[in-house]
Amino acid sequence: MDKRKIFISPVTRIEGHANITLELDDNGNVSDALFHVNEFRGFEKFCEGRMYTEMPTITPRICGICPTSHTLASVKACEMIQGIKPTYTANLLRRLMHIGQNLSSHALSFFHLSSPDFLMGYDSDPAKRNIIGMAEKYPDIAVRGIRLRKFGQELSERITGKKIHIMGIVPGGMAYPLTEENRKALLKWIPEALETVRLGINIIKKFHEDNPEMVRTFATSPTLYLGTVGHGGEHELYDGKLRFMDGDGIILQDQLDPARYLEFIAERSVNWSYLKYPYFKPYGFDRGFYRVGPLARLNVCSRMKTPQAQEEFEKFKHMSGGKPVHGTFYYHYTRLIEALSDVEDAERILKDPEVTSLNIQHHGRWNYTEGIGSSEAPRGTLFHHYKTDETGKLLKVNLLIATGQNNPSMNRSVLEVARQYVKGDDIKEGMLNRVESTIRCYDPCLSCSTHALGQMPMVIEVKDKNGNLVKRVERN
Amino acid sequence: MNKISVIIDEKKFDVDPQKTILEVCRENGIEILTMCHLKGLMDIGACRLCIVEVEGINRLLSACTTKVAPNMVVKTATDRIKRYQRITTELFFAERNHVCAVCVSNGKCELQNLGYKVELDHIRYPHLFPQCEVDTSHPWYVMDHNRCIMCTRCVRVCNEVEGAHNWDVMNRGHQVRIISDFNTPWGQSTTCTSCGKCLHACPTGAIWPKAIVQGQLEKNPVMVTELVERRKMKL
Repeated sequence: MDKRKIFISPVTRIEGHANITLELDDNGNVSDALFHVNEFRGFEKFCEGRMYTEMPTITPRICGICPTSHTLASVKACEMIQGIKPTYTANLLRRLMHIGQNLSSHALSFFHLSSPDFLMGYDSDPAKRNIIGMAEKYPDIAVRGIRLRKFGQELSERITGKKIHIMGIVPGGMAYPLTEENRKALLKWIPEALETVRLGINIIKKFHEDNPEMVRTFATSPTLYLGTVGHGGEHELYDGKLRFMDGDGIILQDQLDPARYLEFIAERSVNWSYLKYPYFKPYGFDRGFYRVGPLARLNVCSRMKTPQAQEEFEKFKHMSGGKPVHGTFYYHYTRLIEALSDVEDAERILKDPEVTSLNIQHHGRWNYTEGIGSSEAPRGTLFHHYKTDETGKLLKVNLLIATGQNNPSMNRSVLEVARQYVKGDDIKEGMLNRVESTIRCYDPCLSCSTHALGQMPMVIEVKDKNGNLVKRVERN
Repeated sequence: MNKISVIIDEKKFDVDPQKTILEVCRENGIEILTMCHLKGLMDIGACRLCIVEVEGINRLLSACTTKVAPNMVVKTATDRIKRYQRITTELFFAERNHVCAVCVSNGKCELQNLGYKVELDHIRYPHLFPQCEVDTSHPWYVMDHNRCIMCTRCVRVCNEVEGAHNWDVMNRGHQVRIISDFNTPWGQSTTCTSCGKCLHACPTGAIWPKAIVQGQLEKNPVMVTELVERRKMKL
């Protein structure tokens, strides 16, 4: 059979590097899609032999976008090893910092990376379809997006003194308190942040209205969903239990202790990517693909914790009659509903009288040989699992990262969109960007590197079965 | 006491002849870089950062182990000295595995500060990346050989101040290691009193308390100096 391949390399405007190979059949239709992740970093291996207490400092370096989520998962694993819990105030401060990171990441994903597609159109000039182009054409929106990100980072900076790769979240609580002066300064941001998130919601809703067919049909395969929920099933990012839901909205597992994650999640390696393929163990590899992240979190949760987000959540639920929404495009919408919830929740926490208390840390020491911690990173559920010897030295480290869990679904979504938009070797810029934008819906963080400007040149090669070049297209 | 005259960086000083060049410089506000020196401990001239030029002597001398002499003319900040200090600092970083970003001592490390002082923006020598052990066997402290620069301040404080002599030095060249007792895990040492003086004397993140994470480490090497001085006053 004369199989041909299309390579898309690299995918622009995502955090990290990835290639996509599209395989064509005899008729020029896409027969398979392979999403390759080319980086290997080895954190799990080189952390072996270190003290477990160093992990909250080492693991945030995995990612410059979601370091707080890594720190939180890591300190929770450390707290399980020590057998202690953080103080009430420490939990408030951790939540604030986590909200800050989530807001900052969602602002980056929506305003910097994705909104150029929505406001300028997928088929517009790629040289202008980025945040710089946005700043020229829609300066108010670009500035607002940048300032929302600034607010998110300031939530960390005003507590710990650092915006990225934060310090100060320690086993047992926090190393630094929040001062009254900083509390007041952060509260001043709330009205502007709410307005900006509302603006984002209006942009995405308008895009939904203007492009109903694309939104409705954009990578809509049902999958399972995993997310963290509170005791009452409410939306939760920092501390809760796990809920698995199937594509019909049936809850498969609820209120699962994250420490039991290995009973429900298994991983498989593939020979074309360094990223492993996790799946829901009871359903097996073929049927067990699940998604995590904002879409999954809003699909699995029963309600939001804050009023304005709840109002928007009800509209979201109404779209599918209360069933899970499968359209990958809705990642953007759910990301903004979460951002709304984040801002409202930040205001609630900043008005809590205990938030400036100095009772911020419990002290512990090594007691147990195993610790598992989880948190909801902007891109989904994150697990840190450590095993130590009796002196606290790490023997084994397992890190299950959110993007990894979306990997099988990303692959499937690319295939679906490629089948819809790519026909034979007739390669047009707009088509390829749609394949890429499928990946961007998941906002994958493939490494800590960012390519927010999307200035990378892109070369697409169509090759036949024997590797002979059939067609070559260069971006830029 | 008879004083002698020396000229340091073109300034004349009348000083006690028993003092070293380093002591005279520090007393008169002349900056000399050091790593292995800790006031109160015996100086060994190991780190070679305190090198100075002395008129009439072609080779560079370590200020911490060279006593002043009558009419000595010393230069502390020539281009040649700065060049060698930069090389020495680069070699410190290239020899073992120093990753400041994730080190418990980040922000409070003498080696890191040295890097800033000599304006270290890159390292020209290939990193050795040796596989070094992290000794976590002590119930309270960790010894991370990846971050050790072999200043031997821990060895000297343990021997001279605590009198335990738990720490010593094994091997030569880049195989050199600080060892506990006769190369046994620190937690099994029969001589260590767990006093923690080595922790405070250590200029980097090589020795640190288990209960501490990045941002919480407070080392106080001055405590060693004060302890020695108080003991001298008693005697």
